Amino acid sequence: MAQSTDQVVDQVAQLNAARNLVLGDAALYPRIVSGILPIVGANARLELRRWGADFLAETFASPMLPTAQKQQLAPGVLQTIQEILGLPETDTAVLSSLVQTSASLYPLIFRHIVNHPEDNKTWETMNAIKQDILRKMDSFPCPVKICCIKFLQRVVQVQTPGLIADPRRPDQNETSLAVVPRTHALLAIPHLEAESSGLLDRLLGVFQEETSDPLIVNATLNCLAPLIRTRQSIANKIILTVLEFYPAKHVLPPFTPAVLVSVKSMERTARALLVNVMKKNPSHPLVGKMQMYIERLMQSRLEVTDDASRKRGLPLEPTDGLDNAKRARLDALTPPLLNIPHLPPGPTSFNQLFTLTQDVGLSSFDVKQLPPDLVVKITVPLLSQVNQSMLTQAVDAIRNRYQTITKEQNLKRQQQLAAAAAAADEDDDYEPDYDPMDVGENISEEATTVAAEVADLQHDLVSLGPFVLPQPPPLTEEEAGDVGRSAVARVFGMIDAADSTPSPAQSKSQQQLGFSRLAGSTFDRDAWVVLLTRLATRSPAGLESGDKGKGESTLSRRQTTISDSIRETLYRYILEDFRARLNIGIIWLNEEWYNDRVRMKEAASERDDQGDEEPTVALYYDTWALRLLDGFLPYLDSRDIKVLVRFLSEIPEVTIPITRRVASLAKDPERVNLCVQALMYLIMFRPPAREMCLNTLEDVYQTYEESRPAAGKILAKWRPQALPTPVETVTNGAAEPAPAAPQAEVQAPVISM
Amino acid sequence: MPPTTESMVAASAAVASNPEAPTESWKLKFCTVCASNNNRSMEAHLRLSTAPTAFPVISFGTGSLVRLPGPSITQPNVYGFNTTSYNQMYEELQSKDERLYRNNGILNMLDRNRNLKWGPERFQDWVPGLPRLDHVSKGDKGALGTEGGVVDVIITCEERCWDAVVDDLMNKGNTLNRPVHVFNIDIKDNHEEALLGGKAILDLANRLNDAAIAQRNTHGPEGWENGAGAARLSFDESVPEILAEWQEKNPNLPALWTLAWL
Repeated sequence: MAQSTDQVVDQVAQLNAARNLVLGDAALYPRIVSGILPIVGANARLELRRWGADFLAETFASPMLPTAQKQQLAPGVLQTIQEILGLPETDTAVLSSLVQTSASLYPLIFRHIVNHPEDNKTWETMNAIKQDILRKMDSFPCPVKICCIKFLQRVVQVQTPGLIADPRRPDQNETSLAVVPRTHALLAIPHLEAESSGLLDRLLGVFQEETSDPLIVNATLNCLAPLIRTRQSIANKIILTVLEFYPAKHVLPPFTPAVLVSVKSMERTARALLVNVMKKNPSHPLVGKMQMYIERLMQSRLEVTDDASRKRGLPLEPTDGLDNAKRARLDALTPPLLNIPHLPPGPTSFNQLFTLTQDVGLSSFDVKQLPPDLVVKITVPLLSQVNQSMLTQAVDAIRNRYQTITKEQNLKRQQQLAAAAAAADEDDDYEPDYDPMDVGENISEEATTVAAEVADLQHDLVSLGPFVLPQPPPLTEEEAGDVGRSAVARVFGMIDAADSTPSPAQSKSQQQLGFSRLAGSTFDRDAWVVLLTRLATRSPAGLESGDKGKGESTLSRRQTTISDSIRETLYRYILEDFRARLNIGIIWLNEEWYNDRVRMKEAASERDDQGDEEPTVALYYDTWALRLLDGFLPYLDSRDIKVLVRFLSEIPEVTIPITRRVASLAKDPERVNLCVQALMYLIMFRPPAREMCLNTLEDVYQTYEESRPAAGKILAKWRPQALPTPVETVTNGAAEPAPAAPQAEVQAPVISM
Repeated sequence: MPPTTESMVAASAAVASNPEAPTESWKLKFCTVCASNNNRSMEAHLRLSTAPTAFPVISFGTGSLVRLPGPSITQPNVYGFNTTSYNQMYEELQSKDERLYRNNGILNMLDRNRNLKWGPERFQDWVPGLPRLDHVSKGDKGALGTEGGVVDVIITCEERCWDAVVDDLMNKGNTLNRPVHVFNIDIKDNHEEALLGGKAILDLANRLNDAAIAQRNTHGPEGWENGAGAARLSFDESVPEILAEWQEKNPNLPALWTLAWL
């Protein structure tokens, strides 16, 4: 300790030179380290101790020095470190560096002990240093404490089982509890594990403290990533602890700028840690929780800063009169007041009522002089810039005026009623209805006309008269078609929107109504369907008959524009999901059929009246029934018998083309039965169509061999004479006891031939 | 016969370029980071390394590539980190369109940069603790004091750079066990803002360094106990307050901070 300052300076210069040497060539480390240890030991001057501690920290952290060499060097320096720590050392810089060195040394020594179970002394020294650091940790000055956190993390990392990359080469594996043999003389695994678990709790304890030191919190957060990544067994515990930590809750007011900096830094560091974990393992089971936590952090951060800015902002305001930003906010609170002129005495015109400006030029300007497109060009940008409060004030002002005038009017009217009966025929329930949108354009005209009309009739009244909406321009055919189609589209929208499954109570009441119900009265899905089908079938009927005098082309165009477009839409709508919407199709076809009847009847009566001209009626039922059937037939599969039978049985009329379509199903061997069963149903339960269907069935029987077993049975029952030669009948009939009489009948024609 | 340690130390003393005095010359070591290690981080690098206090400083970019403005926004000039020198870029752009790159300040910037160090370095490729003696011998500005390849303070110039730095430090595994303060100071990426930002960064660096030196000088139990109030705070503890004070003075440069590990 007797060295002079000059000597120390000289010595440090020499040491720096030595450091430069090893930085250039890591192979020199062992020699330099053993050389400097005596110089920078516990009894050296502060400068030398600092230099020595820094150098040791650098040495054992250096990526240039291979781990094996570090491991050899490590036991040698332990003694020096223990001595300096035991001084007791009080210099923050030296302590920080020594704790850093210890953190680097711990895994090295641990590994050394794993390989050298006999080196009792080194392990004891290391343990002594560890206990010393852990004991003093809480009383150390902050910079040293931070380094102690890292030391803790290192110990936890070493004393927790890690991944064994290759069990055959233990030297290559990362230093962790997993490389310790079960029978190690010095290292008792359960004991070490228990210790590390306790240390982990101590490390994470910082997140549970009432007030957080941002340095400690950030230092901890930033060193947790390697633990989470490499130590599966404790990763979730660490993450869950972090997820419980909300920095804003761990600070006490007042929220000084430094506290705000701290909160923000803790939040961002926590976020950085979780983002790092999620990036490393996007399928981590806790990803959802981590994301929620991050979102919540952002929110709480806003709250804290809002709170703080409010608290800081208010007292500053009166003194800080020059701050433009704040002035603007005050301005916004008290917007400029609108100057509202009083109405001139006497009768008020619309013009005066709505005029707020006092500028004569402006108020006498006739807006109608401007072309509408120009007005639109001016108005739209203006509207977007209208000051909300000014607008409100203006509207309020007009409303006030209007109410005052109405009151006066009523008052006068009552007076008049009381005074004379002459005013009895006045329009009592006068309700001026006007559309504000039109006022701008029509105001001057209306004002003058009203004034002219009313003035001579009712001199005593204020010149407020009825407002007449101008007639809209007539729609062109295309426009009318468009509007019609959009209306139809809206009704289709209603079908989708309406409850497809009506509530049980509703359906019950419907069932009770039975036949006495009125179509379209319940506003559920069915009602809309009925409305649509009638819209398609009946509404254009009258129009077409009115058109019949005109040329053929006009008629056809009309039809395509209105009724057929509805039909087309209905058709598509049903085909989109024909199994579920088949009932809509049936309702529709019934309506079509009914409509066809009605119109045929009408045509017949016209024919009776006029006689000369043959009125023709375009029939829709057949066309659309076939189209619908054609539409879904290809999609029917062999199990769709219920769908097909329902359709065939519920449509109002079965025609030959329809039965032909059904017969075509038999082309597909898989759907032969579908075809035959559908026909059989019609034969059995639809007498008017029976003959037609039997003919078809016979046809099928003749054409498609696959149909014979099933079709034969039906024919045998309903039209035995259609069955072919007895030989075949016998082969067929072997399966079933065919009645003898029909066979005889079948034979008859053969014999007659 | 191998030379003894003593003789080696003595011999190398002559080689040592700058024998430092123990306390007075001690300084915090800085690292500045931006996206391309060209504009903001290099302006700050210049400021810190040429200040009267002349801090040890290294600088990096966190981007995947070095991107410099080109003739249009969709045609940037792109270079690789660690492989292209500022001088190469300078010469290439000069030959491409001298007028354009003179007028938009790129050539001036590259000229400044090539006088500071060899070329842009990528933060993610940096191995902390890897000696940087070659940078000293090449005469990089601010290299003196960074031979050990470690820093005490990292200052980024953009929030996503801060995110990248903090994230990358976690990925590196914190093997050095050495604490490092990571600041972000949001600076817009243009020459004017970089100038202002560089000034503000130097201001922050000076404040931090003063606090650190004050702590180093109050050693021993007596020094520690004698201080009062804020003076008793260690350097690390005073960081939030220093930053808050600095932030009040520079409200247009939003700042962020954490304590991470090398």
